[in-house]
Amino acid sequence: MSQDRREIWVFSEVQELAFELLGKARALADQLGTQSVAVSTGSQEDPQAYVQHGADKVFVLNHAALDVFNVDTYTDAFAVLVAEQKPEVFLIGATRNGLEFAPRLSERLKTGCVTEATRLEFDAEKKFLLMDRVTLGGNLVETQICRSTPQMATVPRGIFAPLTADSTREGEIVKVDPKVKPSTTKLLESRPKTARGVKLADAPIIVSFGRGVRKKEDIGMLEQFAQIVGGVIGCSRPIAEDLHWLPEEQYVGLSGQKVSPKVYFAFGISGQIQHLTGIRNSRIIVAVNNDPKAPIFEFSDYGVVADLYQIIPALNDAVKQFGKT
Amino acid sequence: MVNIIVLVKQVLHPAELKVDKTSKTMITQGVPLVISETDKNAIEEAVRIKEKHGGKITAITMGSPQAKEALREALAMGSDEAYLLSDPLFEGSDAHAVANVLAAAVTNVLDYDLILCGAYSEDLFAFQVGPRLAEICNLPQITYASKVTIDGTKITVERDLESERQVVEGKLPCLVSVVREINDPRLPTLMAIMAASKKPTRIWTAVELHLGAEELGFNGSLVEVLRNTISVGERKRIMLQGDSKEIAPNLVKSLIQEGALKAS
Repeated sequence: MSQDRREIWVFSEVQELAFELLGKARALADQLGTQSVAVSTGSQEDPQAYVQHGADKVFVLNHAALDVFNVDTYTDAFAVLVAEQKPEVFLIGATRNGLEFAPRLSERLKTGCVTEATRLEFDAEKKFLLMDRVTLGGNLVETQICRSTPQMATVPRGIFAPLTADSTREGEIVKVDPKVKPSTTKLLESRPKTARGVKLADAPIIVSFGRGVRKKEDIGMLEQFAQIVGGVIGCSRPIAEDLHWLPEEQYVGLSGQKVSPKVYFAFGISGQIQHLTGIRNSRIIVAVNNDPKAPIFEFSDYGVVADLYQIIPALNDAVKQFGKT
Repeated sequence: MVNIIVLVKQVLHPAELKVDKTSKTMITQGVPLVISETDKNAIEEAVRIKEKHGGKITAITMGSPQAKEALREALAMGSDEAYLLSDPLFEGSDAHAVANVLAAAVTNVLDYDLILCGAYSEDLFAFQVGPRLAEICNLPQITYASKVTIDGTKITVERDLESERQVVEGKLPCLVSVVREINDPRLPTLMAIMAASKKPTRIWTAVELHLGAEELGFNGSLVEVLRNTISVGERKRIMLQGDSKEIAPNLVKSLIQEGALKAS
């Protein structure tokens, strides 16, 4: 019975990401003529916010153990709900938590999951969701399908646009009291990495630099450029992890911050695979390097073979002349 | 004593992969095969735990016969024994099918307290095999470890998330996936490399793992790859060369035209 409903579900413990997923879920649900459904955890959340962003129905998993993400308790609670409700598609936000949760949940449900999908479209028969993911350092796009339901995927930030919140939208709120076993692990401590509040994940323009910058004092030059273009400063892994010139929450890359700005400036960054993976979802990438063979040029929209110490002052002048922020 | 299973994946050296733009194919010829970087961190961490607590390290890889090379490196770094899971029937496996084969091998090894692996592999970046294996083996998982401390059966792990660091406590046996920040993998000495050739390496096929063809490879997968597309021209790759004073205004004008910067 419920199998015929073919609902499109979304979940992310980061609400903004859940809204982005709902934007896509709404479109997919409309194609199937079904409902889009959000799952809400955490007692602090307002389930109506999901309705305003496009959910027809919100399941509220009502249990104190779910207030903080934990892969054990979340897998227990979600597996029961999903097995009962049998959604057609389940999209999960590709945060680090989401990326450890989605495979574990899908393994318990014995269904497939495509992680970090960048494109989701139904096939002509509207049976299978065609899911693209980028592999091999951005060189290859694999189009995959799940053979069973729910067809699962994780989706990173910045792939889909959220709908504008509409306070007149109506939806159903369903409270669920899940049975949750105590977790096998205990969270002893949680320290935020960011002390200064510079959130790279949300920045529209990022001015990033790598080993091409010769000394710490030169960061001022980049900060000035960032200020002129209305951007924030980022860096490659060695700048934060080896040289400690910037705090670790400001390095961009697979194990650092994954970013999706309108423009990503890479000054003196050669383009290690981990770095490229972190900037893949940028709209425009501008790379400046004095080595014409630097791998980053292959992954750039604009590649400038130049000395960054010469180009940055020239860019400052040009932005002042032609642009404003 | 902490007995550790460390999972290793051999990948094409990610920095050396190139695309032939005319034929739109990947150039894999001449690209060296290496151990995926985070798996190297997992081996290093296993060796450090052994140095402190004693125990045995078993390195396991799944792959073609060439993956023996990765095991030799794992042994040279300090693993005690190694298993290559290799069978033509394994080809075309998705993350679930891979985890299933690894789970069979883990069950065969029997005597372990801890499974260590990289949080992701450097070719696929799927982040799937660790959690799936833990689920199949009904083990707790602690992911993205940047520090591991063991005290008896208690394990304390610092987890590296996007915007926070967590300290999590768990109990052995469990699976821990590591990130690159956890350590700097050692370069084995010549002596260690020579000694590695005397350490036992065995091959397990589907038969030794008691796995049937229906749960292996393409048939045993839950996800199917419909097609591969070489992503050429996804980026514009407009190269600007010459005098900075000329390049800069052109670049800024282009960015304004694309709506990426605002015009005055």
